[in-house]
Amino acid sequence: MTTQTSIALEAVLCAAAGRELLRVDQLHIAPGERVAIVGHNGAGKSTLLRLLSGFMPLTHGQLTVLGHALDKPLPASALRQLRREVGQVLQGLHLVARLSALDNTLIGSLSRVTGWRSWLRHYPAHEVARAESALHAVGMLARAQTRADRLSGGERQKVAIARLLMQGPRLILADEPTAALDPAAAAEVCQLLVRAADNATLITVVHTPTLLPLLADRVIGLKQGRIAFDLPVAAVDDTRLMSLYRPDQDAMHMPWQLPEHCARALGEATS
Amino acid sequence: MLTALARIPSIRAGRLGFLALSLSYLMLVVVCLGSLAREDELSLGRNPLTNLIKTASEFARPSFVDVWLGNPRLEYRSDDGTLLRVENRQQVEADYLAGLGRATWTTLRIATLGSLLGALLGLPLAVLTARNLGAPKPLAWLAKGTLDSARAIHTLVFGLVLVGIVGLGPTAGILAIGLHSMGSYGKLFAEAIESLDMAAIDAVRSVGASPMQVFFNAVWPSVLPQFVSSHLYIWEFNIRDSTILGLIGAGGLGLLITEATALFQWGRLATVLLVVIALVVSFDALSRRIREALS
Repeated sequence: MTTQTSIALEAVLCAAAGRELLRVDQLHIAPGERVAIVGHNGAGKSTLLRLLSGFMPLTHGQLTVLGHALDKPLPASALRQLRREVGQVLQGLHLVARLSALDNTLIGSLSRVTGWRSWLRHYPAHEVARAESALHAVGMLARAQTRADRLSGGERQKVAIARLLMQGPRLILADEPTAALDPAAAAEVCQLLVRAADNATLITVVHTPTLLPLLADRVIGLKQGRIAFDLPVAAVDDTRLMSLYRPDQDAMHMPWQLPEHCARALGEATS
Repeated sequence: MLTALARIPSIRAGRLGFLALSLSYLMLVVVCLGSLAREDELSLGRNPLTNLIKTASEFARPSFVDVWLGNPRLEYRSDDGTLLRVENRQQVEADYLAGLGRATWTTLRIATLGSLLGALLGLPLAVLTARNLGAPKPLAWLAKGTLDSARAIHTLVFGLVLVGIVGLGPTAGILAIGLHSMGSYGKLFAEAIESLDMAAIDAVRSVGASPMQVFFNAVWPSVLPQFVSSHLYIWEFNIRDSTILGLIGAGGLGLLITEATALFQWGRLATVLLVVIALVVSFDALSRRIREALS
Protein backbone atom coordinates (compact mmCIF):
# COMPACT_ATOMS: atom_id res chain seq x y z
CA MET A 1 0.00 0.00 0.00
CA THR A 2 2.76 2.42 0.92
CA THR A 3 4.39 1.78 -2.42
CA GLN A 4 1.25 3.00 -4.16
CA THR A 5 0.25 5.93 -1.99
CA SER A 6 2.34 8.25 0.05
CA ILE A 7 -0.67 10.04 1.47
CA ALA A 8 -4.33 9.03 1.51
CA LEU A 9 -7.23 11.08 2.88
CA GLU A 10 -10.77 9.66 2.98
CA ALA A 11 -13.70 11.77 4.17
CA VAL A 12 -11.44 13.87 6.38
CA LEU A 13 -12.90 16.62 8.55
CA CYS A 14 -10.80 18.87 10.70
CA ALA A 15 -12.43 21.33 13.05
CA ALA A 16 -11.10 23.51 15.84
CA ALA A 17 -13.02 25.68 18.28
CA GLY A 18 -16.31 24.87 16.52
CA ARG A 19 -15.04 26.10 13.15
CA GLU A 20 -14.62 23.78 10.20
CA LEU A 21 -11.07 24.22 8.94
CA LEU A 22 -10.82 21.49 6.32
CA ARG A 23 -13.14 18.96 4.67
CA VAL A 24 -11.66 16.61 2.08
CA ASP A 25 -13.69 13.77 0.55
CA GLN A 26 -10.81 12.00 -1.10
CA LEU A 27 -7.19 12.81 -1.82
CA HIS A 28 -4.36 10.49 -2.82
CA ILE A 29 -0.78 11.52 -3.38
CA ALA A 30 1.64 8.99 -4.83
CA PRO A 31 5.29 8.65 -3.79
CA GLY A 32 7.57 11.02 -5.64
CA GLU A 33 4.78 13.38 -6.67
CA ARG A 34 5.35 17.13 -6.73
CA VAL A 35 2.24 18.82 -5.38
CA ALA A 36 1.59 22.51 -4.84
CA ILE A 37 -1.27 23.75 -2.68
CA VAL A 38 -2.73 27.18 -3.42
CA GLY A 39 -5.54 29.14 -1.83
CA HIS A 40 -6.38 32.28 0.12
CA ASN A 41 -5.43 32.83 3.77
CA GLY A 42 -7.52 30.58 5.98
CA ALA A 43 -8.40 28.21 3.14
CA GLY A 44 -6.96 25.30 5.08
CA LYS A 45 -3.50 24.98 3.48
CA SER A 46 -1.52 25.07 6.71
CA THR A 47 -4.15 22.89 8.42
CA LEU A 48 -3.58 20.23 5.76
CA LEU A 49 0.19 20.32 6.29
CA ARG A 50 -0.16 20.21 10.08
CA LEU A 51 -2.46 17.18 9.76
CA LEU A 52 0.12 15.40 7.64
CA SER A 53 2.97 16.04 10.09
CA GLY A 54 0.87 14.97 13.06
CA PHE A 55 1.02 18.40 14.70
CA MET A 56 -2.79 18.63 14.56
CA PRO A 57 -5.37 15.90 15.16
CA LEU A 58 -8.21 15.30 12.70
CA THR A 59 -11.82 15.27 13.84
CA HIS A 60 -13.27 12.61 11.51
CA GLY A 61 -12.20 10.40 8.66
CA GLN A 62 -9.23 8.34 7.64
CA LEU A 63 -5.74 9.62 7.05
CA THR A 64 -2.69 7.56 6.14
CA VAL A 65 0.74 9.13 5.85
CA LEU A 66 3.66 6.92 4.76
CA GLY A 67 1.81 3.87 6.04
CA HIS A 68 1.00 5.39 9.45
CA ALA A 69 -2.72 5.64 10.20
CA LEU A 70 -3.36 9.05 11.77
CA ASP A 71 -7.09 8.62 12.48
CA LYS A 72 -6.48 8.32 16.19
CA PRO A 73 -3.76 10.22 18.04
CA LEU A 74 -0.55 8.22 17.68
CA PRO A 75 1.50 7.23 20.71
CA ALA A 76 4.47 9.56 21.15
CA SER A 77 7.05 7.08 19.90
CA ALA A 78 5.07 6.30 16.71
CA LEU A 79 4.59 10.02 16.11
CA ARG A 80 8.35 10.58 16.41
CA GLN A 81 8.89 7.70 13.99
CA LEU A 82 6.59 9.41 11.49
CA ARG A 83 8.21 12.82 11.91
CA ARG A 84 11.63 11.33 11.20
CA GLU A 85 10.34 10.50 7.74
CA VAL A 86 8.62 13.85 7.22
CA GLY A 87 10.83 16.85 6.54
CA GLN A 88 9.43 20.32 7.13
CA VAL A 89 10.36 23.75 5.84
CA LEU A 90 8.18 26.52 7.24
CA GLN A 91 8.05 30.25 6.61
CA GLY A 92 10.11 32.47 8.86
CA LEU A 93 12.66 31.15 11.31
CA HIS A 94 12.07 27.43 11.66
CA LEU A 95 15.54 26.93 13.14
CA VAL A 96 17.10 27.14 16.58
CA ALA A 97 18.01 30.83 16.60
CA ARG A 98 21.01 30.56 18.87
CA LEU A 99 22.69 27.59 17.17
CA SER A 100 25.02 27.83 14.19
CA ALA A 101 23.98 26.87 10.67
CA LEU A 102 26.03 23.68 11.05
CA ASP A 103 24.39 22.72 14.36
CA ASN A 104 20.96 23.41 12.84
CA THR A 105 21.81 21.16 9.92
CA LEU A 106 22.97 18.45 12.31
CA ILE A 107 19.55 18.50 13.98
CA GLY A 108 18.45 16.55 10.89
CA SER A 109 20.57 13.65 12.12
CA LEU A 110 18.94 13.38 15.56
CA SER A 111 17.03 10.24 14.56
CA ARG A 112 20.33 8.46 13.91
CA VAL A 113 22.40 9.99 16.73
CA THR A 114 21.00 9.04 20.13
CA GLY A 115 21.96 9.19 23.78
CA TRP A 116 24.39 11.60 25.37
CA ARG A 117 26.03 12.51 22.05
CA SER A 118 22.82 14.15 20.86
CA TRP A 119 22.40 15.94 24.21
CA LEU A 120 25.86 17.51 24.16
CA ARG A 121 25.65 18.15 20.39
CA HIS A 122 28.78 16.02 20.06
CA TYR A 123 28.03 14.43 16.70
CA PRO A 124 30.09 11.63 15.14
CA ALA A 125 32.60 12.79 12.53
CA HIS A 126 30.80 11.18 9.60
CA GLU A 127 27.57 13.03 10.47
CA VAL A 128 29.48 16.34 10.68
CA ALA A 129 31.06 15.62 7.30
CA ARG A 130 27.61 14.84 5.89
CA ALA A 131 26.20 18.07 7.34
CA GLU A 132 29.03 20.04 5.79
CA SER A 133 28.38 18.49 2.39
CA ALA A 134 24.67 19.26 2.82
CA LEU A 135 25.55 22.90 3.55
CA HIS A 136 27.86 22.86 0.54
CA ALA A 137 25.01 21.56 -1.62
CA VAL A 138 22.87 24.58 -0.73
CA GLY A 139 25.82 26.97 -1.03
CA MET A 140 26.01 27.75 2.69
CA LEU A 141 29.29 26.08 3.71
CA ALA A 142 31.01 29.46 4.10
CA ARG A 143 28.36 30.47 6.67
CA ALA A 144 28.45 27.16 8.59
CA GLN A 145 29.56 28.78 11.86
CA THR A 146 27.14 31.74 11.66
CA ARG A 147 24.26 31.71 14.11
CA ALA A 148 20.82 31.12 12.58
CA ASP A 149 19.40 34.43 13.80
CA ARG A 150 22.20 36.32 12.03
CA LEU A 151 21.37 34.80 8.64
CA SER A 152 19.18 36.47 6.01
CA GLY A 153 15.73 35.07 5.18
CA GLY A 154 16.96 33.22 2.09
CA GLU A 155 19.98 31.82 3.94
CA ARG A 156 17.74 30.53 6.72
CA GLN A 157 15.61 28.60 4.24
CA LYS A 158 18.76 27.17 2.65
CA VAL A 159 19.89 25.92 6.09
CA ALA A 160 16.43 24.40 6.60
CA ILE A 161 16.87 22.60 3.24
CA ALA A 162 20.33 21.40 4.31
CA ARG A 163 18.63 19.99 7.43
CA LEU A 164 16.20 18.16 5.08
CA LEU A 165 19.15 16.68 3.19
CA MET A 166 20.56 15.48 6.53
CA GLN A 167 17.22 14.03 7.60
CA GLY A 168 16.60 12.19 4.30
CA PRO A 169 12.78 12.20 4.62
CA ARG A 170 10.35 10.32 2.33
CA LEU A 171 7.89 13.21 2.47
CA ILE A 172 8.69 16.92 2.44
CA LEU A 173 6.16 19.51 3.59
CA ALA A 174 7.01 23.12 2.77
CA ASP A 175 4.70 25.84 4.10
CA GLU A 176 5.31 29.06 2.16
CA PRO A 177 9.07 28.52 2.11
CA THR A 178 9.51 31.60 -0.09
CA ALA A 179 7.46 34.04 2.00
CA ALA A 180 9.26 37.38 2.42
CA LEU A 181 12.02 36.43 -0.04
CA ASP A 182 12.93 38.46 -3.11
CA PRO A 183 12.13 36.79 -6.48
CA ALA A 184 15.70 35.65 -7.16
CA ALA A 185 16.12 34.12 -3.69
CA ALA A 186 12.65 32.55 -3.94
CA ALA A 187 13.51 30.83 -7.24
CA GLU A 188 16.82 29.59 -5.81
CA VAL A 189 15.16 28.21 -2.69
CA CYS A 190 12.55 26.45 -4.85
CA GLN A 191 15.21 24.83 -7.04
CA LEU A 192 17.13 23.63 -3.97
CA LEU A 193 13.92 22.32 -2.44
CA VAL A 194 13.05 20.28 -5.54
CA ARG A 195 16.60 18.93 -5.67
CA ALA A 196 16.38 17.96 -1.97
CA ALA A 197 13.13 16.12 -2.74
CA ASP A 198 14.84 13.87 -5.30
CA ASN A 199 13.76 10.67 -3.56
CA ALA A 200 10.75 12.06 -1.74
CA THR A 201 7.23 13.32 -2.16
CA LEU A 202 7.12 17.11 -2.11
CA ILE A 203 4.11 19.12 -0.98
CA THR A 204 4.48 22.89 -1.06
CA VAL A 205 2.16 25.72 -0.11
CA VAL A 206 2.84 28.72 -2.35
CA HIS A 207 1.28 32.06 -3.13
CA THR A 208 3.39 33.03 -6.14
CA PRO A 209 1.94 31.64 -9.40
CA THR A 210 5.27 32.01 -11.23
CA LEU A 211 6.87 29.49 -8.85
CA LEU A 212 4.27 26.78 -9.54
CA PRO A 213 6.01 25.22 -12.58
CA LEU A 214 9.29 25.10 -10.62
CA LEU A 215 7.80 23.28 -7.66
CA ALA A 216 4.97 21.09 -8.87
CA ASP A 217 3.49 18.75 -11.44
CA ARG A 218 0.11 18.84 -9.76
CA VAL A 219 -1.72 21.79 -8.22
CA ILE A 220 -4.46 21.52 -5.60
CA GLY A 221 -6.60 24.62 -5.09
CA LEU A 222 -8.22 25.02 -1.69
CA LYS A 223 -11.12 27.36 -1.05
CA GLN A 224 -12.78 27.72 2.33
CA GLY A 225 -11.54 24.38 3.56
CA ARG A 226 -12.52 22.37 0.46
CA ILE A 227 -10.68 21.24 -2.64
CA ALA A 228 -11.72 23.57 -5.48
CA PHE A 229 -9.57 21.92 -8.15
CA ASP A 230 -6.90 19.26 -8.51
CA LEU A 231 -5.12 19.63 -11.84
CA PRO A 232 -1.80 19.09 -13.60
CA VAL A 233 0.26 22.26 -13.43
CA ALA A 234 -0.08 22.86 -17.19
CA ALA A 235 -3.86 23.15 -16.85
CA VAL A 236 -3.70 25.79 -14.15
CA ASP A 237 -4.06 29.30 -15.52
CA ASP A 238 -4.71 32.72 -14.10
CA THR A 239 -8.50 32.36 -14.23
CA ARG A 240 -8.31 29.19 -12.15
CA LEU A 241 -6.13 30.88 -9.59
CA MET A 242 -8.23 34.05 -9.58
CA SER A 243 -11.34 31.97 -8.84
CA LEU A 244 -9.73 30.88 -5.58
CA TYR A 245 -9.06 34.39 -4.42
CA ARG A 246 -12.28 35.98 -5.75
CA PRO A 247 -15.10 36.32 -3.23
CA ASP A 248 -18.20 34.14 -3.60
CA GLN A 249 -21.10 35.41 -5.68
CA ASP A 250 -23.48 35.44 -2.70
CA ALA A 251 -21.22 37.89 -0.94
CA MET A 252 -21.47 40.30 -3.86
CA HIS A 253 -24.97 41.62 -3.18
CA MET A 254 -23.66 43.41 -0.11
CA PRO A 255 -21.08 45.62 -1.80
CA TRP A 256 -20.21 47.64 1.33
CA GLN A 257 -19.10 44.55 3.19
CA LEU A 258 -15.57 43.28 2.77
CA PRO A 259 -15.31 39.76 1.38
CA GLU A 260 -14.71 37.37 4.25
CA HIS A 261 -11.18 36.41 3.34
CA CYS A 262 -10.16 40.06 2.89
CA ALA A 263 -11.61 40.92 6.29
CA ARG A 264 -9.80 37.97 7.81
CA ALA A 265 -6.55 38.92 6.13
CA LEU A 266 -6.96 42.49 7.40
CA GLY A 267 -7.68 41.19 10.86
CA GLU A 268 -4.56 39.04 10.82
CA ALA A 269 -2.49 41.94 9.55
CA THR A 270 -3.65 44.35 12.24
CA SER A 271 -3.78 41.93 15.17
CA MET B 1 -17.43 62.74 14.90
CA LEU B 2 -19.05 59.99 16.93
CA THR B 3 -15.76 58.23 17.57
CA ALA B 4 -14.11 61.53 18.53
CA LEU B 5 -16.83 62.13 21.13
CA ALA B 6 -16.52 58.61 22.44
CA ARG B 7 -12.81 59.01 22.93
CA ILE B 8 -12.79 62.22 25.00
CA PRO B 9 -14.18 60.77 28.28
CA SER B 10 -11.73 57.90 28.24
CA ILE B 11 -8.79 60.27 27.83
CA ARG B 12 -10.15 62.54 30.53
CA ALA B 13 -10.73 59.59 32.86
CA GLY B 14 -7.16 58.42 32.23
CA ARG B 15 -5.73 61.86 32.97
CA LEU B 16 -7.96 62.31 36.02
CA GLY B 17 -6.84 58.92 37.24
CA PHE B 18 -3.21 59.91 36.89
CA LEU B 19 -3.85 63.28 38.55
CA ALA B 20 -5.57 61.56 41.49
CA LEU B 21 -2.67 59.15 41.77
CA SER B 22 -0.12 61.99 41.76
CA LEU B 23 -2.14 63.92 44.35
CA SER B 24 -2.37 60.96 46.70
CA TYR B 25 1.37 60.41 46.33
CA LEU B 26 2.02 64.07 47.14
CA MET B 27 -0.26 63.77 50.17
CA LEU B 28 1.63 60.71 51.40
CA VAL B 29 4.92 62.64 51.16
CA VAL B 30 3.43 65.60 53.03
CA VAL B 31 2.03 63.33 55.78
CA CYS B 32 5.37 61.56 56.19
CA LEU B 33 7.30 64.83 56.42
CA GLY B 34 4.73 66.59 58.61
CA SER B 35 4.32 63.79 61.16
CA LEU B 36 8.07 63.32 61.52
CA ALA B 37 8.52 67.08 61.95
CA ARG B 38 5.83 67.17 64.64
CA GLU B 39 7.50 64.34 66.52
CA ASP B 40 10.69 66.45 66.27
CA GLU B 41 12.50 63.60 64.53
CA LEU B 42 13.90 65.67 61.69
CA SER B 43 16.74 67.38 63.53
CA LEU B 44 20.25 67.35 62.07
CA GLY B 45 22.07 67.14 65.38
CA ARG B 46 23.86 69.94 67.21
CA ASN B 47 26.51 71.12 64.78
CA PRO B 48 26.12 69.18 61.56
CA LEU B 49 28.40 71.40 59.51
CA THR B 50 31.54 71.02 61.65
CA ASN B 51 30.86 67.30 62.01
CA LEU B 52 30.50 67.00 58.27
CA ILE B 53 33.75 68.81 57.60
CA LYS B 54 35.60 66.74 60.20
CA THR B 55 34.29 63.42 58.87
CA ALA B 56 34.86 64.42 55.26
CA SER B 57 38.45 65.48 55.93
CA GLU B 58 39.18 62.13 57.61
CA PHE B 59 37.49 60.32 54.72
CA ALA B 60 39.67 62.28 52.31
CA ARG B 61 42.77 60.64 53.82
CA PRO B 62 42.16 56.88 53.53
CA SER B 63 44.25 54.90 56.02
CA PHE B 64 46.19 52.98 53.36
CA VAL B 65 48.29 56.03 52.39
CA ASP B 66 49.99 55.63 55.78
CA VAL B 67 51.72 52.52 54.44
CA TRP B 68 54.03 55.01 52.69
CA LEU B 69 53.39 58.32 54.47
CA GLY B 70 52.88 57.10 58.04
CA ASN B 71 55.23 57.93 60.88
CA PRO B 72 57.62 54.97 61.29
CA ARG B 73 58.31 55.97 64.93
CA LEU B 74 55.06 57.23 66.48
CA GLU B 75 55.77 57.66 70.17
CA TYR B 76 53.08 57.32 72.80
CA ARG B 77 54.00 59.15 76.00
CA SER B 78 52.24 59.55 79.31
CA ASP B 79 51.44 63.01 80.71
CA ASP B 80 54.75 63.21 82.55
CA GLY B 81 56.69 62.48 79.40
CA THR B 82 57.75 58.84 79.90
CA LEU B 83 57.81 56.85 76.70
CA LEU B 84 55.05 54.21 76.85
CA ARG B 85 55.55 52.53 73.47
CA VAL B 86 56.66 53.22 69.92
CA GLU B 87 54.46 52.32 66.99
CA ASN B 88 55.50 51.91 63.35
CA ARG B 89 52.44 53.37 61.59
CA GLN B 90 53.63 52.02 58.23
CA GLN B 91 53.81 48.47 59.62
CA VAL B 92 50.41 48.76 61.34
CA GLU B 93 48.67 49.91 58.17
CA ALA B 94 50.45 47.28 56.06
CA ASP B 95 49.14 44.61 58.46
CA TYR B 96 45.67 46.12 58.21
CA LEU B 97 45.84 45.94 54.41
CA ALA B 98 46.83 42.28 54.59
CA GLY B 99 43.86 41.64 56.86
CA LEU B 100 41.68 43.56 54.42
CA GLY B 101 42.88 41.28 51.63
CA ARG B 102 41.91 38.19 53.61
CA ALA B 103 38.51 39.69 54.45
CA THR B 104 37.90 40.49 50.77
CA TRP B 105 38.68 36.89 49.88
CA THR B 106 36.21 35.70 52.55
CA THR B 107 33.50 38.02 51.23
CA LEU B 108 34.10 36.83 47.68
CA ARG B 109 33.86 33.20 48.77
CA ILE B 110 30.63 33.82 50.71
CA ALA B 111 29.07 35.61 47.73
CA THR B 112 30.17 32.99 45.21
CA LEU B 113 29.02 29.95 47.15
CA GLY B 114 25.86 31.68 48.37
CA SER B 115 24.93 32.67 44.80
CA LEU B 116 25.50 29.15 43.52
CA LEU B 117 23.36 27.77 46.35
CA GLY B 118 20.61 30.29 45.54
CA ALA B 119 20.72 29.36 41.84
CA LEU B 120 20.52 25.64 42.58
CA LEU B 121 17.61 26.15 44.98
CA GLY B 122 15.86 28.60 42.64
CA LEU B 123 15.97 26.49 39.45
CA PRO B 124 13.53 23.72 40.44
CA LEU B 125 11.17 26.31 41.95
CA ALA B 126 11.37 28.33 38.70
CA VAL B 127 10.46 25.23 36.69
CA LEU B 128 7.44 24.76 38.96
CA THR B 129 6.30 28.41 38.70
CA ALA B 130 6.89 29.00 34.96
CA ARG B 131 3.38 29.31 33.53
CA ASN B 132 4.14 27.69 30.16
CA LEU B 133 5.41 24.44 31.70
CA GLY B 134 2.08 23.78 33.40
CA ALA B 135 3.17 22.29 36.73
CA PRO B 136 0.32 21.10 39.02
CA LYS B 137 -1.43 24.16 40.51
CA PRO B 138 -0.87 23.44 44.25
CA LEU B 139 2.82 22.79 43.62
CA ALA B 140 3.11 25.98 41.56
CA TRP B 141 1.48 28.05 44.32
CA LEU B 142 3.70 26.50 46.95
CA ALA B 143 6.79 27.23 44.87
CA LYS B 144 5.67 30.80 44.17
CA GLY B 145 4.95 31.36 47.86
CA THR B 146 8.41 30.08 48.78
CA LEU B 147 10.09 32.33 46.21
CA ASP B 148 8.08 35.41 47.26
CA SER B 149 8.83 34.96 50.96
CA ALA B 150 12.51 34.29 50.23
CA ARG B 151 12.62 37.60 48.30
CA ALA B 152 10.71 39.48 50.98
CA ILE B 153 13.01 38.48 53.86
CA HIS B 154 16.29 40.40 53.89
CA THR B 155 19.63 38.57 53.79
CA LEU B 156 20.47 40.14 57.14
CA VAL B 157 17.37 38.66 58.80
CA PHE B 158 18.17 35.23 57.40
CA GLY B 159 21.73 35.70 58.65
CA LEU B 160 20.70 36.63 62.19
CA VAL B 161 18.49 33.54 62.43
CA LEU B 162 21.13 31.28 60.88
CA VAL B 163 23.92 32.51 63.18
CA GLY B 164 21.76 31.18 66.02
CA ILE B 165 21.55 27.81 64.28
CA VAL B 166 24.94 27.18 62.67
CA GLY B 167 27.00 29.62 64.72
CA LEU B 168 29.23 32.53 63.70
CA GLY B 169 31.23 32.33 60.50
CA PRO B 170 30.97 32.16 56.74
CA THR B 171 28.54 29.17 56.75
CA ALA B 172 25.78 31.39 58.12
CA GLY B 173 26.61 34.00 55.44
CA ILE B 174 26.54 31.49 52.60
CA LEU B 175 23.22 30.03 53.72
CA ALA B 176 21.70 33.49 54.26
CA ILE B 177 22.70 34.67 50.79
CA GLY B 178 21.57 31.40 49.23
CA LEU B 179 18.14 31.53 50.85
CA HIS B 180 17.46 35.18 50.02
CA SER B 181 18.76 35.14 46.44
CA MET B 182 16.86 31.90 45.76
CA GLY B 183 13.81 34.17 45.46
CA SER B 184 15.40 36.45 42.88
CA TYR B 185 16.88 33.52 40.94
CA GLY B 186 13.55 31.71 40.86
CA LYS B 187 11.76 34.77 39.50
CA LEU B 188 14.37 35.52 36.80
CA PHE B 189 14.73 31.87 35.75
CA ALA B 190 10.95 31.51 35.49
CA GLU B 191 10.82 34.60 33.27
CA ALA B 192 13.55 33.13 31.05
CA ILE B 193 11.62 29.88 30.73
CA GLU B 194 8.40 31.76 29.97
CA SER B 195 10.02 33.64 27.08
CA LEU B 196 11.15 30.39 25.44
CA ASP B 197 11.62 30.33 21.67
CA MET B 198 8.73 28.06 20.58
CA ALA B 199 9.82 28.12 16.92
CA ALA B 200 13.10 26.48 17.90
CA ILE B 201 11.28 23.80 19.87
CA ASP B 202 8.95 23.09 16.91
CA ALA B 203 11.94 22.96 14.57
CA VAL B 204 13.64 20.25 16.63
CA ARG B 205 10.40 18.37 17.29
CA SER B 206 9.63 18.33 13.55
CA VAL B 207 12.52 15.94 12.85
CA GLY B 208 11.15 13.44 15.37
CA ALA B 209 13.53 14.27 18.21
CA SER B 210 12.99 12.72 21.65
CA PRO B 211 12.00 14.96 24.59
CA MET B 212 15.58 14.92 25.91
CA GLN B 213 16.91 15.85 22.47
CA VAL B 214 14.39 18.71 22.28
CA PHE B 215 15.49 19.91 25.71
CA PHE B 216 19.21 19.86 24.94
CA ASN B 217 18.99 21.14 21.36
CA ALA B 218 16.25 23.78 21.61
CA VAL B 219 15.34 24.63 25.22
CA TRP B 220 18.85 24.68 26.69
CA PRO B 221 20.49 26.90 24.03
CA SER B 222 17.67 29.45 24.27
CA VAL B 223 17.52 29.71 28.07
CA LEU B 224 21.23 29.32 28.85
CA PRO B 225 22.30 32.92 28.00
CA GLN B 226 19.49 34.33 30.14
CA PHE B 227 20.37 31.97 32.99
CA VAL B 228 24.03 33.00 32.85
CA SER B 229 23.12 36.67 32.64
CA SER B 230 20.79 36.44 35.67
CA HIS B 231 23.42 34.48 37.56
CA LEU B 232 26.09 37.13 36.96
CA TYR B 233 23.68 39.90 37.88
CA ILE B 234 22.65 38.37 41.20
CA TRP B 235 26.20 37.25 41.93
CA GLU B 236 27.34 40.85 41.63
CA PHE B 237 24.44 41.95 43.82
CA ASN B 238 25.48 39.35 46.41
CA ILE B 239 29.06 40.63 46.50
CA ARG B 240 27.62 43.97 47.61
CA ASP B 241 25.20 42.26 49.96
CA SER B 242 27.82 40.04 51.62
CA THR B 243 29.86 43.10 52.64
CA ILE B 244 27.11 43.86 55.14
CA LEU B 245 26.96 40.31 56.51
CA GLY B 246 30.04 40.87 58.63
CA LEU B 247 27.78 42.96 60.85
CA ILE B 248 26.20 39.80 62.17
CA GLY B 249 29.46 37.91 62.54
CA ALA B 250 29.58 36.13 59.21
CA GLY B 251 33.09 37.49 58.68
CA GLY B 252 34.58 39.26 55.69
CA LEU B 253 34.56 42.94 54.81
CA GLY B 254 31.45 43.62 56.86
CA LEU B 255 33.36 42.86 60.04
CA LEU B 256 35.96 45.51 59.16
CA ILE B 257 33.19 48.00 58.31
CA THR B 258 31.56 47.41 61.70
CA GLU B 259 34.91 47.79 63.44
CA ALA B 260 35.80 51.02 61.65
CA THR B 261 32.40 52.63 62.24
CA ALA B 262 32.32 51.58 65.91
CA LEU B 263 35.72 53.24 66.50
CA PHE B 264 34.94 56.27 64.27
CA GLN B 265 37.99 55.43 62.13
CA TRP B 266 36.74 57.12 58.97
CA GLY B 267 40.11 56.78 57.26
CA ARG B 268 39.98 53.02 57.60
CA LEU B 269 36.32 52.94 56.57
CA ALA B 270 37.35 54.86 53.44
CA THR B 271 39.96 52.20 52.67
CA VAL B 272 37.45 49.37 53.11
CA LEU B 273 34.82 51.14 51.01
CA LEU B 274 37.36 51.75 48.24
CA VAL B 275 37.98 48.00 48.14
CA VAL B 276 34.22 47.31 48.00
CA ILE B 277 33.80 49.79 45.15
CA ALA B 278 36.77 48.34 43.25
CA LEU B 279 35.37 44.84 43.74
CA VAL B 280 31.90 45.72 42.48
CA VAL B 281 33.14 47.82 39.55
CA SER B 282 35.58 45.19 38.32
CA PHE B 283 33.03 42.39 38.69
CA ASP B 284 30.48 44.50 36.80
CA ALA B 285 32.94 45.10 33.94
CA LEU B 286 33.76 41.39 33.79
CA SER B 287 30.14 40.24 33.85
CA ARG B 288 29.16 42.78 31.20
CA ARG B 289 31.84 41.36 28.92
CA ILE B 290 30.58 37.83 29.48
CA ARG B 291 26.96 38.85 28.91
CA GLU B 292 27.84 40.66 25.68
CA ALA B 293 29.75 37.63 24.43
CA LEU B 294 26.72 35.44 25.14
CA SER B 295 23.96 37.58 23.65
